[in-house]
Amino acid sequence: MPDTTAHPTPGAPPADVPAGAREIPTLAVEDVTVRFGGIVALDAVSFSVAPRSIHALIGPNGAGKSTCFNAVTGIYRPTSGRVTLGDAVLTDTPPHQVARLGVGRAFQNLALVAGSSVLDNVMLGRYSLTSGGFLSYGLRLPRTMRAERRHEERAAEICDFLGIGAHLHRPAGVLSYGDQKRVDIARALAVEPTVLLLDEPAAGMNASETAELAHLIRDISTGLSISILLVEHDMGLVMGIADRVTVLDFGRLIADDTPAVVQKDPAVIRAYLGSVEEESA
Amino acid sequence: MSETTRAEATGPTAGATGVDAAETDSAAPDGQGGMPAVHPRRDRRRWLLWGALVVVLFLVPIYLPGQYLIVSTWVMTGAVGAMGLTMLIGQAGQLSLAHSFFLLVGGVSYTVLSSDGTDGFVGLGLPTALSLVLAVAISAAVGAAFAPVSGRLTGIYLGVASLSLVFLGWWLARVLPSIAGSTSSGRYADDLNLFGFDFGEKSPTLAILGVPIGQNERLFWLYAALTLIAYFVARGAVDGRVGRAWRAVRDNEAAATVMGVSVVRQKSVAFAVSSAYAGLAGVMVVWWYDGLLKPDEAVDSGTYSTAVAIAYLAMVVIGGLGSLGGAIVGAAVVFGTPLIIPLLSQGDSSAVLSSGGTAFSPVVITYLAYGALIVLIVLFEPGGLAALGRRLTARLKRS
Ligand SMILES: Nc1ncnc2c1ncn2[C@@H]1O[C@H](COP(=O)(O)OP(=O)(O)O)[C@@H](O)[C@H]1O
Ligand SMILES: [Mg+2]
Repeated sequence: MPDTTAHPTPGAPPADVPAGAREIPTLAVEDVTVRFGGIVALDAVSFSVAPRSIHALIGPNGAGKSTCFNAVTGIYRPTSGRVTLGDAVLTDTPPHQVARLGVGRAFQNLALVAGSSVLDNVMLGRYSLTSGGFLSYGLRLPRTMRAERRHEERAAEICDFLGIGAHLHRPAGVLSYGDQKRVDIARALAVEPTVLLLDEPAAGMNASETAELAHLIRDISTGLSISILLVEHDMGLVMGIADRVTVLDFGRLIADDTPAVVQKDPAVIRAYLGSVEEESA
Repeated sequence: MSETTRAEATGPTAGATGVDAAETDSAAPDGQGGMPAVHPRRDRRRWLLWGALVVVLFLVPIYLPGQYLIVSTWVMTGAVGAMGLTMLIGQAGQLSLAHSFFLLVGGVSYTVLSSDGTDGFVGLGLPTALSLVLAVAISAAVGAAFAPVSGRLTGIYLGVASLSLVFLGWWLARVLPSIAGSTSSGRYADDLNLFGFDFGEKSPTLAILGVPIGQNERLFWLYAALTLIAYFVARGAVDGRVGRAWRAVRDNEAAATVMGVSVVRQKSVAFAVSSAYAGLAGVMVVWWYDGLLKPDEAVDSGTYSTAVAIAYLAMVVIGGLGSLGGAIVGAAVVFGTPLIIPLLSQGDSSAVLSSGGTAFSPVVITYLAYGALIVLIVLFEPGGLAALGRRLTARLKRS
């Protein structure tokens, strides 16, 4: 378990703005439809993630959760509707510039560079915060190297916060599955996001690893005080830590409320809990 | 699942190599309190090693006979080109069979820029050092101009599309003899002349320890310097922001994009960098042939042919895709052996270059040898000689 007290303000953004002083905008999904040929993966979905909240997005397999993440991060262009983060319209932004606007994302399937070190993987998250091309790195320009070292220190700090600080120089591919998930989350945090998207972080974890993860997500939320949008299958995890829950079923939004209310919603029980029972049967 | 559908269409090398950044060796993290020590103190030792290497390379031409210097400089030509190709294929995941085309672009550009336009040839008569820099820049620009194709295609499709460039270059060189020289007699470029020091000097007055410092010795110094610089620059870039972007593009385009990397742009940058390295190698080829630039008679054999494109591919596969050190070793294997075999069997290396038809010429033996080596590597050690070397050092450290 990462010991948050051991690290001074783990979430301090690089510009030495104290955590909590940074302005965290609302992430708003407005009437978004994503179609693949005949399939409507998202059907006019709207919801918003309040600043500094933990917001869960749940639903059975194929409900459109990952598609929603892809629409937010610009990997898929919605057929209609838009996504905004504060004043910025993410759906009008070139996909590779979405990170710069403060969106960090960890992937459902590990998307690390297995042969590169943990530090190298996490440093990829600093890409939009740094500059310098082939020649400035090739010639080791002092300015570039100084910035590189500063960002490496910050990346190492984030890794410490996530409990993978001992593995900085090991290839990411040799770590345990749980640690690789943490590297993925560290890389997303290295973007210094105002909203963090986590796609099924507990997938493939056992009960105790899942409990650790729940702690970690709460630590991130309180330590960095950023918004977290969480896709998760594990109902226990979701209901325990989420401030608000949005439920998708076949691309349609069927509920959007606090965990307590959603848990009792008959439509949710039918669509989501029903399918979970089927799956485990 | 869904986000990987697009991402899975990556290059030919996705994840198979394990020879990425330099810092993957498992150094123990020290400095428990205070700031995390990101890199253990290795910098000073590294500079000492570089210094020692420079001294050794300076002394080599004084002790090594000229014939061996000729082999070494040819290997270094290959090493510079192969470093470019291993970055493109192994780091950025883009297959290219056009490397020999970019050698030609570099060689032609240097020749046109540096020589004065006599005998009906086009020539600008620029200073040779400037011509060198411009030739590398032109090669990079031509590589970048291939971006609309390289950005859209991946894997073997890109390989085939790039191969067409070799045919294009071959055809252009034939129809433009005033630029590239004729296929029968070619044309000559100027030696590099740095502050009055002529790297092609045939009748030297300079001698060190009684050894006259002529063309062979001078070219060795020049090529060693260029190879070191090429390695140093590539190392810094590969370990830095650019290399990280390339590896991300190679392994997962969606993840790269989400982290802020413009996939299309980085593919084009990788092509430009690789072409610049090939262009430099192309200039080195021209100097190595005493300044002679001569287009090939046939597209599949000769200095800028498909056979050379494949030889470069062999170097980077043998060395280990993505490994810069491996590219140098691969160049020694592929370019060095056919020249060194006759030397060791008392011949002289110039015989090899003219030995055309005999059944088991050193060239044929080398083709067979590196063909077999590639098969063995693909089957047993996809990381190439670089991975083999890393495994050996790891084992030595443990015991
Ligand atoms: N790139 C794609 N092409 C075609 N169909 C897709 C694509 N991505 C997702 N889908 C479809 O959209 C639906 C929602 O998928 P997804 O968002 O991955 O669901 P979830 O993450 O909730 O399990 C599924 O029917 C899936 O097959
Ligand atoms: Mg999903």
